Amino acid sequence: MDHEAAPSAVHHHSPPQGFIWKYIFSLDHKVIGKQYYFLSLLAVITGMVLSWLMRLHLAWGTAAIPLLDKLSPNGAPGGVMTPEYYLSLMTLHGTIMVFFVLTTAPQAGFGNYILPIQIGAEDMAFPRLNMLSFWVTFVSFVTLVSSLFVSDGPPISGWTAYAPLSALGSAGGPGLGRGQILWALAIATFCVGSLLGALNFIATTIDLRAKGMTLSRLPLTCWAWFITAILSLLAFAVLLPACVLLILDHIGGTSFFIPAGLVVSDALQPHAGGSPLLWQHLFWFFGHPEVYIAIVPGLGIVSNVLACTCRKPLLSYRVLVGCMIAIAFLSFTVWGHHMFLSGMSPYSGLTFSVPTLFITIPAAIVCLIWLGTVYGAKLRLNTFGLFAIGFISVFLTGGLSGFFLAQPSIDTYLHATYFVVGHFHFVMGVAAIFGMFTGTYFWFPKMFGRMMNETLGKIHFWLTFIGVYCIFMPMHYLGFAGNVRRYAAFTDDYMLPLIPVHKFITVAALTTGAVQLIFIFNLFWSMFRGKLASANPWEATELEWSTPSPPPFDNFGGQHPVVYRPPYEYNVEGATAEFIPQFTPDPVIKA
Amino acid sequence: MSSVAVHAHASAGMSWFMKVWGCLLVLTGAEVFLTYEELRLEVMLFLLMAISIVKAALIIAYFMHLRYEKRSLFLTLIPALVFVLVMMVVMFPDSFRIQTMRLISN
Amino acid sequence: MSESDVAMTESTWSGGALPYAISSKKLGMWLFIVADSITFGAMLVAYAYLRVASPDWPIPFKFNPSIINATVMTFVLLSSSITMVAAVQAAKEGRVRACVGWMAATMFGGVLFDILHIREWLGLIHEGVRLFQNPWGSPLFGASFFSLTGLHMTHVTLGVIYLAVVAIGFGRKKFSADDVEISGLYWHFVDLVWMFIFPLVYLISARLR
Repeated sequence: MDHEAAPSAVHHHSPPQGFIWKYIFSLDHKVIGKQYYFLSLLAVITGMVLSWLMRLHLAWGTAAIPLLDKLSPNGAPGGVMTPEYYLSLMTLHGTIMVFFVLTTAPQAGFGNYILPIQIGAEDMAFPRLNMLSFWVTFVSFVTLVSSLFVSDGPPISGWTAYAPLSALGSAGGPGLGRGQILWALAIATFCVGSLLGALNFIATTIDLRAKGMTLSRLPLTCWAWFITAILSLLAFAVLLPACVLLILDHIGGTSFFIPAGLVVSDALQPHAGGSPLLWQHLFWFFGHPEVYIAIVPGLGIVSNVLACTCRKPLLSYRVLVGCMIAIAFLSFTVWGHHMFLSGMSPYSGLTFSVPTLFITIPAAIVCLIWLGTVYGAKLRLNTFGLFAIGFISVFLTGGLSGFFLAQPSIDTYLHATYFVVGHFHFVMGVAAIFGMFTGTYFWFPKMFGRMMNETLGKIHFWLTFIGVYCIFMPMHYLGFAGNVRRYAAFTDDYMLPLIPVHKFITVAALTTGAVQLIFIFNLFWSMFRGKLASANPWEATELEWSTPSPPPFDNFGGQHPVVYRPPYEYNVEGATAEFIPQFTPDPVIKA
Repeated sequence: MSSVAVHAHASAGMSWFMKVWGCLLVLTGAEVFLTYEELRLEVMLFLLMAISIVKAALIIAYFMHLRYEKRSLFLTLIPALVFVLVMMVVMFPDSFRIQTMRLISN
Repeated sequence: MSESDVAMTESTWSGGALPYAISSKKLGMWLFIVADSITFGAMLVAYAYLRVASPDWPIPFKFNPSIINATVMTFVLLSSSITMVAAVQAAKEGRVRACVGWMAATMFGGVLFDILHIREWLGLIHEGVRLFQNPWGSPLFGASFFSLTGLHMTHVTLGVIYLAVVAIGFGRKKFSADDVEISGLYWHFVDLVWMFIFPLVYLISARLR
């Protein structure tokens, strides 16, 4: 039988020479991980600036924003945004944040860097595919952002690109012609990059674990990245054809998502037969697993970090893994809860509401396990520990509002209000970001060989933690008051009393945004001037802490690590050491 | 990394594969034959899907060799795939509703 | 289970081994196939959804030439699969020239499939079928027909190119029999998708008069 036997046979490439091969088209998962991370950083800054522009307009709608008329003379004449331009910026904000921040940094960024090292491998299973995945994702980002610079601007249809608005072409409004096509091309390209990355992660986790690294000894980060990769493989495969069909509606004259008889601006559209609901089904079939793709790596990172912070094993490793698997499985059964008000069959409403309520159970169990781990623990509260515990708070807050939205009866009122905006920003815009901060502060020494400044980190945490509650908590009340989302201005009588709340949120958003400069400064300053880091500054147990900071080209310097014990053996009873790394073979130390 | 245990697993010979090929051709013929039997649409659809699934299973099991790989590979790949495809069926109640609405409005 | 004092276990799942006893590349191809199957599945579901929702869906495929042509195409693709199986068998037994020959036969099948398909497309276009209209009924017929079969044809064409690269590489001893088998997996997948497209697009739309 002619099988390619030894996994290591794939990876014997020598260190690259030359700037291009070392830093641009590198095959090294560590470089690629950093490339993804910095792409995400660029994306999050772009997305945040877009959100400031949006918030400024919502609070002070008639004020002129400097330089905006240079960016788009049509969209913001005299610096004052048109309502359509507000929607364009909103679309770009959502798309950039969901795809290039939340789907990229936690999985492709940290995952690429850390996963191979944590399982004891030299690199990912397919290094060239890995490099290709990054550059495909980069091209996708450039394509998306280029829509800012085409004459009509980005599409106004939101990151969800609901049909028929998104399928009509320029007849539908600004940005819906070229802008929407660029959007669809960018997203389709992103799907390809994600799919290639996903199969890399899955093959790596299965095939390249070091000797002794059984599945039950995998750090929870590896489990999270593995489960997320499976979700990505299955979900992005549905978004890709949806985008292709959308592009065909634009350039092929097809009517996949456009019904007959649609009159737009007094013109009858030359389309017939399509179904806008079909787009929603296809989009959310992907879209719901997508939000779990965004959060599951965070669950893994927080679990991993909490054990280190609390200096004790997690309350139950197996239950945590089981919950992540349950969440992943259920995530394919709930997509219709985004569509309760779409005109979908009401019986489908029941079909989706029940699993949505079910999915809160494993999520809640995860939180309870974390709280149980923190309880009674002697905490070592570094910045990453603070962000990990902060994650529990914001994830719980965001999850609780999900209970309301899961029920069609309540959702009838709350759908498309600021309640939803508050909900998803807490779970995605805050919790997932906290997961990224946790990961950054935790792995920075390993990735850059230097320590970040703890004082600045703690200031960053507290100001951000207070700030995000100030921004997003009021949105729940706005939603109850009936404040509709995706409006550029609030001119209805019942919304006028809410404007002061919007002003408060805007001030909080701008302030919290400014606070992030502390983080950016800390990040870049520490890269060059931070204190040199040892191999294991946090006294953690996983394999990455057995390598120098940063690791050599092939991670383990030609050694092949062997794993002898589960992760998270902190303060094990009867042990002589306070923590026992996974590669420690001493058989005397047993629980 | 230490050496790997790779099994020399059994496989069928060409004559067996030819038999599978023959089955596939026969099933294809059956499908074409059924098409002209003037059956009700739901029955036709059910039979055609059933036959297609059998053909797909034959190709996956034999031509793609999955029958001779480790069971764990099958369990990793196929149930997840089937689950996702089956979940898509939940989209159909809406298409039937649209059909009814369009028939009524005509 | 007490594992901490036994670092080396015999299980293929305990690290340092390939649990499925297949190369990572082959596993990667299987995973790609799972994803691509879901993509085609979504396209087929979208097509079925739109068809159910459209009372005016045309049923245009006459036995001669459409159904005959599609059946011949099915036969060609199935035969190209059996030649691929023969190629993989030859590769595993080290018979390089036989393998390359069988792969050439497979590629020939793929090209023939493409030619028959393009001929059919041209015939339909000649009859007035476009992405946005046709003389018989719902405009979505042409849209879904061309996009579905177009996506499949693209996969066939890319497959022929992929097989050519592997065949040449194997002939020059640069690729292994495993690589041949992996390319075979892709080819069988392309055949597999056609097993669904053929009845759901053609046979269901056969004109029964």
